[in-house]
Amino acid sequence: MMDRQRLIERMRAVLGAEAVIVERNQLRTYECDGLAAFRVIPALVVLPETTGQVQAAVRACHEEGVPFVARGSGTGLSGGALPLSDGVLIVLSRMRRILEIDYDDQRAVVEPGVINLWVTKEVAPRGYYYAPDPSSQLVCSIGGNVAENSGGAHCLKYGFTTNHVTGLEVVLPDGDLVHLGGKAPDPPGYDLVGAFVGSEGTLGIATKVTLRLLRKPEAVRTLMAAFDGADAAGDAVSKIIAAGIVPAAVEMMDALAMEAAEAAVHVHYPEGAGAVLIVELDGPEAECEQQFEEVERLCLEAGSTTIQIAEDDDQRALFWKGRKSAFAAVGRISPDYYVQDGVIPRTALGAVLRKITDMAEERGLRVANVFHAGDGNLHPLVLYDGDAEGEEERAEELAAEILFACLALGGSITGEHGVGADKKKYLPRQFTADDLDVMQLVRCAFDPDGRCNPGKVFPTPRLCGETPGKRHVHPAEQPGLVEVL
Amino acid sequence: MADQPPESGAWALPAFDGHHPPEKELIDDCVHCGFCLPTCPTYLLWGEEMDSPRGRIYLMDVGLSGGPLNDEMARHFDQCLGCMACVTACPSGVQYDKLIEATRQQVERRYPRSRRDRAFRALVFKLFPYPRRLRLLRGPVRLYQKAGLRALLERSGLVRLLPDRLGSMQALLPDLGPMEKVPELTPAAGQRRGRVGILVGCVQSVFFPQVNAATARVLAADGCEVVAPPEQGCCGALSMHAGREAEAQRFARRTIDVFEAAEVDAVVVNAAGCGSSMKEYGHLLRDDPGYAERAARFSARVRDVSEFLAELEPAAERHPLPVKVAYHDACHLAHAQGIRKPPRDGLRAVPGLELREIDEPEICCGSAGIYNLVEPDPARELGARKAAKVLATGADLLVTSNPGCLLQIRASLERTGEHLPMAHVVEVLDASIQGEPARSLLARVAGRGQGRLS
Amino acid sequence: MTVGAVANDPPGGRMPEREPGAGREGAFGPPDGTVLEAGPDDAVDGARAKWLAQPSSTTETAEVLRAAHEAGLRTVVRGGGTKLGWGNPPAGVGLVLSTARLGRVLEHAAGDLVTRVEAGVRLADLQAELAPAGQLLGLDPPEAGATVGGVVAANASGPRRLRYGTVRDLLIGITVVLADGTVAHSGGKVVKNVAGYDLGKLFAGSLGTLGVIVEANFRLHPVPAASAVVTAEVAAPGQVGAAVRALLASALVPSAVELDWPSADGPGVLTVLFEGIGPGVATQAAATARLLVHAGTPGARVLDGAEADQATAALGALPWRSGQLGVKVATGPSRLPGALTTVWEVAAVHGLAVRAAAHAGTGVLRAGLDGGDPAAKAAFVTGARERLASAQATLVVTEAPLEVKRAVDAWGPVGDALPLMRRVKERFDPSGLLSPGRFVGGI
Repeated sequence: MMDRQRLIERMRAVLGAEAVIVERNQLRTYECDGLAAFRVIPALVVLPETTGQVQAAVRACHEEGVPFVARGSGTGLSGGALPLSDGVLIVLSRMRRILEIDYDDQRAVVEPGVINLWVTKEVAPRGYYYAPDPSSQLVCSIGGNVAENSGGAHCLKYGFTTNHVTGLEVVLPDGDLVHLGGKAPDPPGYDLVGAFVGSEGTLGIATKVTLRLLRKPEAVRTLMAAFDGADAAGDAVSKIIAAGIVPAAVEMMDALAMEAAEAAVHVHYPEGAGAVLIVELDGPEAECEQQFEEVERLCLEAGSTTIQIAEDDDQRALFWKGRKSAFAAVGRISPDYYVQDGVIPRTALGAVLRKITDMAEERGLRVANVFHAGDGNLHPLVLYDGDAEGEEERAEELAAEILFACLALGGSITGEHGVGADKKKYLPRQFTADDLDVMQLVRCAFDPDGRCNPGKVFPTPRLCGETPGKRHVHPAEQPGLVEVL
Repeated sequence: MADQPPESGAWALPAFDGHHPPEKELIDDCVHCGFCLPTCPTYLLWGEEMDSPRGRIYLMDVGLSGGPLNDEMARHFDQCLGCMACVTACPSGVQYDKLIEATRQQVERRYPRSRRDRAFRALVFKLFPYPRRLRLLRGPVRLYQKAGLRALLERSGLVRLLPDRLGSMQALLPDLGPMEKVPELTPAAGQRRGRVGILVGCVQSVFFPQVNAATARVLAADGCEVVAPPEQGCCGALSMHAGREAEAQRFARRTIDVFEAAEVDAVVVNAAGCGSSMKEYGHLLRDDPGYAERAARFSARVRDVSEFLAELEPAAERHPLPVKVAYHDACHLAHAQGIRKPPRDGLRAVPGLELREIDEPEICCGSAGIYNLVEPDPARELGARKAAKVLATGADLLVTSNPGCLLQIRASLERTGEHLPMAHVVEVLDASIQGEPARSLLARVAGRGQGRLS
Repeated sequence: MTVGAVANDPPGGRMPEREPGAGREGAFGPPDGTVLEAGPDDAVDGARAKWLAQPSSTTETAEVLRAAHEAGLRTVVRGGGTKLGWGNPPAGVGLVLSTARLGRVLEHAAGDLVTRVEAGVRLADLQAELAPAGQLLGLDPPEAGATVGGVVAANASGPRRLRYGTVRDLLIGITVVLADGTVAHSGGKVVKNVAGYDLGKLFAGSLGTLGVIVEANFRLHPVPAASAVVTAEVAAPGQVGAAVRALLASALVPSAVELDWPSADGPGVLTVLFEGIGPGVATQAAATARLLVHAGTPGARVLDGAEADQATAALGALPWRSGQLGVKVATGPSRLPGALTTVWEVAAVHGLAVRAAAHAGTGVLRAGLDGGDPAAKAAFVTGARERLASAQATLVVTEAPLEVKRAVDAWGPVGDALPLMRRVKERFDPSGLLSPGRFVGGI
């Protein structure tokens, strides 16, 4: 049982009263992140401003035996920043300085509260950018990106956060500070940076992040191609891949998703289109030009009914704004909705969309689909009316069924949003008990006391005190049968 | 189900009464995506959820569900600038403007403010909405400025002894030039294309009467008969934005009466804050059977001057004005009214004028109605931030569409020892139409700096 | 009771000796199709092993490891044997686990740009299998005969890492077997996947100390249709610095930027490779030649036909032979020229000749040193490490005579994360049986 008052005093002493939030209404504003369906009021919220303060806060938790959860901008979609009612919420939004930029070696060192888009904004005048671009990039934090290994539309060509983080300064759950990786390539030892990115805040708190910057490509070409349906659109993508072209981004939206985005952003999607593809190529001008023409041709070959080519940056930005607003914009065509995040092998798109349509019809619900067609990451938006009897439950069921369909086709239960609190119950469908056990060995190495964002990712926490030993007795090793191989 | 009242401090329980509380339906439009956070000035300053639109909406919901309106909650509502950048940013179309307006009214009615707070607000609202009272101050203020009393106060540092809010108030006072009245009727030049009324405003008419004069001239030059009804008074914007509902309604009714009597095609407004409020008269007076329809019709005829000129299309020739201009988007023009292109188009139509964009245009300068008076600290920080961005453009002239912004940015620049000539959009257009040389315009408006005579 | 101890203690500490389990070492066996008695060719850095196992499936691998665990046998994994000399000499070897019979390409989903491979597949064979569909795995390490598992475990890379990244950027799923026989998977066969922890990253470069890699899944790239090569002679490291800076700051997208410097007394050659479609690579090559001339390397020119092919084939060749000292210095493109200068200077002090080959675009320098006795070579390593530390550079010994390896730690200092790394090792291999002593800090 935590002594709340003592903890509050301790936090005030090391962070200053301005950084400690104790009043109930204020605490309530932190009870959920972007996944508003899960809400827990934290016992305490603290807002440190320096690495030293983060260490002090974590150490206080460690010494008081209190669990903690880290939070960036609170925009995550899997409840990764869902607080604990008996824990401290450590909010990194005040650690938002860009500390260092090294253009020669193409690295930036930033604090975790720096907003994703700010990095690009800072280095854009010199012709650089930071590649991972989740749709929420104008508000999501780098620290959050690190926790979730956030992706974005340009993953197929450029990878995810983990491919763009080369170093981390991390406060471990006991308050100690370690430096993982750095600016230089190939640091000797285990790739703990790689283990940390995507660990959803369960291994520690990153207080400095070294990012890889990329030079802006010479040319960018974007087109929007309309099709009668997703099958034809998927076909176009197959042709593009088969032609040896790796687009910077390929996004697909279906009719419902377009309807919502149109209401919010007025992109002027072609009327009557069943699906639309946004294909973006970038790279050296000569290459980009030629491949773009080819992409256009292949889209037409696959049956595209209309092709719009972005004539300038503004139009290109508009195409993307429509796509990136699709989630929230869906609120305009439905009282409630549930964003799902699943992955399938790209070639299984047609099959999974047909399955989704069937399942949705069975339950009398509508599903809008936004799809990272290049890498197979599917975002079905299950639309429902929370006020209608039983609809919320049916929507949840449908969302789960969609995930299982993805798994059945060889995919994953999450491509970008993470497991968090929302999907941990499904993790055993994708991995065996041994898989999850072994993954948690990493957790035990970082957080033996199990106080860092406990209750996330793994449905069955591993007690780190157990000695990992033989879990299976080889049947042939039954006494008397055979000694060993 | 109501919670318990807090153990200390002021509070109201339940938080909201039954008269137009913030609407649950509007609150439910929020999907908690957080896109509003990086565009909210107070979130940029403090990085706390409670001082972000998402957090404030959350607090409104807490209030609706029975939580008390306590010190913290009231403070977070008070600290909202009402800039509505969040409305622009929100992909779900949450009508935060309606929510904060309704909430502020509740706070005004129900939350027991401290005596000092009440006294200061009373002072502000006994003064600013009354041009005649403001005008009475002109003499003593001019004397204070010209007699070097202000310079003395500032140089000696005695100004720091003034209570924080009064200190910021005096810092905002511009140098007052000679009073320039707008004629009641200005005939159209050339062919008459319409008859419009103009709002001369309170702060505008007292502190920037040249802007009103220029407004009338420009409208006339582009073919309008311009009426400036002398009986007009405050439009009620400051009251509306501060949640003083009854007061705002009184001002609104009077304004509607005056302009209806003037029988004009449109009511043209050169202060963004005022125009924005006047376009909402229909909503403000929706409960008043005697005014509801009239207010709606009235609101439909309100135009910001840039908007109106763009609709009208220029008639008078624009002469060259080779000057580098930084255009500042007033929140109540850009966010509240969605007007961004017309003023820029109007400026670009001036030959030789180079228009420069200010970085972070969507972030409020900190003026926000009476915000820089009642919340001087964040206002000062935001002002400094905006001033730096303005200077970074390297422009010769700052142009905006709101007297409040002009006062705020000027004061912020001067706090860092910088000066920049500033003008209203119509003053630039006026100078261009009249063929005034750029140097002359700059010299004329430069004199609005504190303690500097042109 | 210790088994097969080797008399060396790598500086920097080593993992505490763990008593093997039941110590029934003699009971591992008898030899059958999967387990053989080890021969002299199965030694690892001079340490003779007793047994050699060649499982042909994940299940068999698990059985072997379980038995080895029971018997307390220290185990080293061998793929193509090309990198067995990496890291420190092991603190004893009881079992060499060969992946020779884990040789199947399980799946090649060309439409998804994904492949699933068993660890014993040779990289070259995999590339040949992928080529008909016009696809490749973006890894080009120089060690001929390397297996996929070995490449992953050693985090081996080649010149095209500039374009495609390294193992961690291409690996999307992995199946491993722990020391006690537990089989675990992470990732999957889709490119985008954040479910669970990324064990693949942890195992990449872990040199077999955490578990045995039995399967790996990779994302693929299309085989480029055309290529073009630009070379420029350089006289001083500073020239390289200016040239590379200009290249990286431009919008050109080379597949590789390599520096070859056979001797400190002569010139070096900068080679820039472009791969893509015809018009694209030709334009970029021409632009590069101009850019390099402008940046202070006047001899830059575009190669054609046979010359270009030759240059491409020779890219990334290791600058050392067996018996010499081979080191890898990783620092970053802007600090590479300085690192090269340092290497030359320290080598000169100890009377060693240097042959350098660097991935100049990523700032990774490989240097082969010869001409001195083991003591000189060891002294070089120590001296160079000291000088390079302030430049945020690491120096790893990749190839060395055994006496040198016994004198210096192959990896060098690792920083404040070493205790954490030890804890990870302790969790995965508490008995300390896998590749013991070969890794950083004596892990």
